[in-house]
Formats: sequence, C-alpha cells, structure tokens
Amino acid sequence: MPAVKKRRIVDSITKESIISNLANSTRLDERGLLDYRNLEIETKILKDKTNGSARVKLGESEVWAGIKVETANPFPDTPAEGVMTCNAERLPISSQYIEPGPPDEDTIELSRVSDRGIRESGMIDVKELCIKEGERVYSVYVDVAVINDDGNLFDAVAYAATTALLMSDMNKFTIEDDEIKMLDEKQPLPIKSVPVSTTFAKIGDKIIMDPNADEEEMATARVTLVTDENGKYVSAQKGKPGGFTFDELREISVISKEKGDEIRIKIREAVKNGA
Amino acid sequence: MKTNSVERKYVMPGDVVIEGDHNPLANVIKSGNKIISTKIGMAEISYNGVRVMPLSGTYIPRMDDVVIGKVADMNGFAWEVDINSWFFGILTGSAVFGRQFSSSRDSMKSAFNKGECLIAKILSFDRTRDPLISVSGPGLGKIKEGEITYITSSKIPRVIGKKGAMIKLIEENTGCRMTIGQNGAILLKGTDEARTKARNAIELIGNQAHISDLNDKVISLISK
Repeated sequence: MPAVKKRRIVDSITKESIISNLANSTRLDERGLLDYRNLEIETKILKDKTNGSARVKLGESEVWAGIKVETANPFPDTPAEGVMTCNAERLPISSQYIEPGPPDEDTIELSRVSDRGIRESGMIDVKELCIKEGERVYSVYVDVAVINDDGNLFDAVAYAATTALLMSDMNKFTIEDDEIKMLDEKQPLPIKSVPVSTTFAKIGDKIIMDPNADEEEMATARVTLVTDENGKYVSAQKGKPGGFTFDELREISVISKEKGDEIRIKIREAVKNGA
Repeated sequence: MKTNSVERKYVMPGDVVIEGDHNPLANVIKSGNKIISTKIGMAEISYNGVRVMPLSGTYIPRMDDVVIGKVADMNGFAWEVDINSWFFGILTGSAVFGRQFSSSRDSMKSAFNKGECLIAKILSFDRTRDPLISVSGPGLGKIKEGEITYITSSKIPRVIGKKGAMIKLIEENTGCRMTIGQNGAILLKGTDEARTKARNAIELIGNQAHISDLNDKVISLISK
C-alpha cells in the first residue's frame, strides 16, 4: 500500500534542537526570533493570461497569484459595488502531505484568511468597480496557488495576492445608448491601501515570526495580524489550541506594525521594479 | 573502450543512451541493440555497463538497505516508519521484543514513540506491500542525538564515494561522524561547527553531484 501521509511529523531530535536553540534566542536556520526569511517578489509572471500576477518566495515556500478582472451581475444587496473574491489552493505538488481532491480544513482557512485581509482592509474600492448600478459591475478574481509549502503560507499568499492586485489593470468601458461597451484601453484597479500580513507562532514561551513548516507544526499557538499603512489592524486570525497572554498580544501587535512597514516597502519596490 | 574510462551525458526518458552490446545496469531498458533511458538524469557508460543516475526521485526500498526513518504512527502490533519513500516501513512488535512479544504485555511506547528516529534495515520488500524493517543488528536502533539532513536518494552513492572515499574525506576534515541511510537521510553527529561544515558539504554534493572534480570542491569548501 502506498503511504498516505496525513500530517507532517517533526522528529524528536529536530524538536529538541529547535527548543534548545529557542532557549538561546536563535533558530535552526540562524535567524533571530523576529526575522523573516528571504522574501523574493516577482511580478508579471503570467503576463498573457491574467490582468496581474506575482510570484512570492518566502524562504522555501513559493506561491503564485493571478488576477482576472471580468464583468458580472452585482449581488442584489450591494447593487452599486463590484465583486472581489480571493481564493487560495495548495497544489499536491507543494508538499507530500497534500492529496488531490476537495480542499482540507487548513486550505480553506488559508483561503478565507487571505480573502479577509484584502476585503476588510478596503484595499480595492469596490464602489469604483461599478459599471452600471444594479446591472453590471467588475468582478475581480484573485487566485493563489501554493507551489511549495515550507510554512507561513498565510503571509506568502497575502503578499502574492497584494502584489498581484497592485500590478493589475482592467479594461475601460463606455456606455452608448444604454449598451455597455468594453474597450481595449486599460486602467489600473482602484487601490486604496496596501494591507500586510504578519504571522507569529508560540513555541514554549517564545514568540517567533515567520515560522517554517517544522516550527509551525510544533507551535502551540499561532496568530496572523494584518495591518494597513495607516497602522490600522484590518484582520486577525488565531490558530492552534494554545493561547497568548495579554502582554504577549500587546507586544505582537506593536511588532506587527513595524514588520508590516518593512515588508510593505519590499512589496512597493517589487511593484515599482515590475511596472 | 578502455576499462576505466566513463562516458557521461544527460538523458531524458526515451533517449537512446548508446547502441551496441552493453550491459543495462539501472534505469535503462534494452531494446534490440539500443539502450534506452527511463529517467531524467546523467547516463554513465562504462566498461561494466550503462546506468542512468536520476537527477531526483523518491527512494524505492531495496532489501538489506540501511535506512533512517521516523516513527509516523503506531498500533498495538507494529510501528509505521516514515522512510522518506512512498511506502511506510513496517517495524513489527516481534522484531523489537522478540518472539515472545505480546501486545497486551509489552508496551509499544517503551520501545519507540511517535516522532522518534531510528536506523533500520529493510528485511523484505516487493512493490505490492509495505517493506518490513528491523532494528536488530550492529549500528541499528533508536537515534538519541545528532541531526538528520536529507539529500535526493539517487545521490547517496556520491556522498559515499568510491569505496567510502567521500565519507572518509568529510569525516576526517570536519570531525563529524556520519551515518548514511540509503533513503537519502544522513545522520550527523559532532559539534555544531562540524555538523554545519558536513551539512554544507552534503548540500554541495546534492547540487553538483555530476561534476567530475567533486572531491576538490568539497575539500575547498570544508577547509574554508
């Protein structure tokens, strides 16, 4: 019987060395507790088939994002607002623990958290995506695929989706005699802010940022905070059974903004280089 | 062809490696008088025959291989060991406790717990079922300390070298003790510095296994 590997297992000696390293405030890959792995952002990787695209490599984790802007009927309760959906999936190629088939719990969480970060930050001004109230609006589909999984996919997916949206364009339109005509001319998406996600994990009593796959599996608690450039917290997600104390959360919320600013600069740089 | 010369080239699956009377050794098939590759990799044509060293690939168990694995799951009768393959290694209770093993009397957890690492030998394997493994033998058993690093299993022969030359080279120059599992897992024992040096050397072998002056590169990396 070929093996179906259900869950990543951190072996006992790796576990011990991670814990003993953390006691000295270092990590196995020689990072500090609050250091991110090398972040590489590339844009315009799927030029012909998408309106905007990006590839993000966070250490060994790699995700691709593609944006498609189309037109659709608005939802009845928001007749004057465009539609935005963000979806993330983990491909079976990304890790030996993922099988083809319907998405599992973790993938759905990943998908929803990345959607929430973009939606609640008001990154896209959905009111400006309206073509004709009650009849036709723009619909923005953000699709993110995880190519390689080495932990902290929440952040990698969020950066890829954000960068791709910043790079994205959409067709202009005119209305002639009540007929909507799409033009070949392009305009940028109505972007209002740049949300940046930061993820913390707790192992023992130590808090680390950007956990890799082993650290993520070992962690007792995990929290993802998304901030925008005005220092506003736009979304949060807590995972795993353990908990954080008030003091820890207070500390995390401050660090989240500082790190968020650093990463926002990197995202802006990638967009500037790609434009 | 001279007896000791080796000809190397990259091949794709379906490529004719060479025509003529040659002995097919590994990852090649013989069709008529053509030797055809079945993997992406480096073909080696030597006096002994033709083999293709795959660039990457998962470990396929073979009898008598020494492997390093971690316990993925256990039940009352056996442990399932993740041996870095698409098969789990099955370590039965009687292979650890002896023939008197009784699932009610012996505590499985007292021998191996979930997540613990072990060095084992493959007792039997055919592709229809999971391989049986054993931990009885010199050098086999639970791993208590050290660090495990991974490399594509097809490159393990390079880490070993001709008659163990590469192991010897790395061990002598770094002071790190290495135990090599045929499944691509390598156990390193030694000081932090020694392990880091050995790990870098293994990484270099993993990236540049096909280069002919590998020995010199490894030496210059270690002595840096």
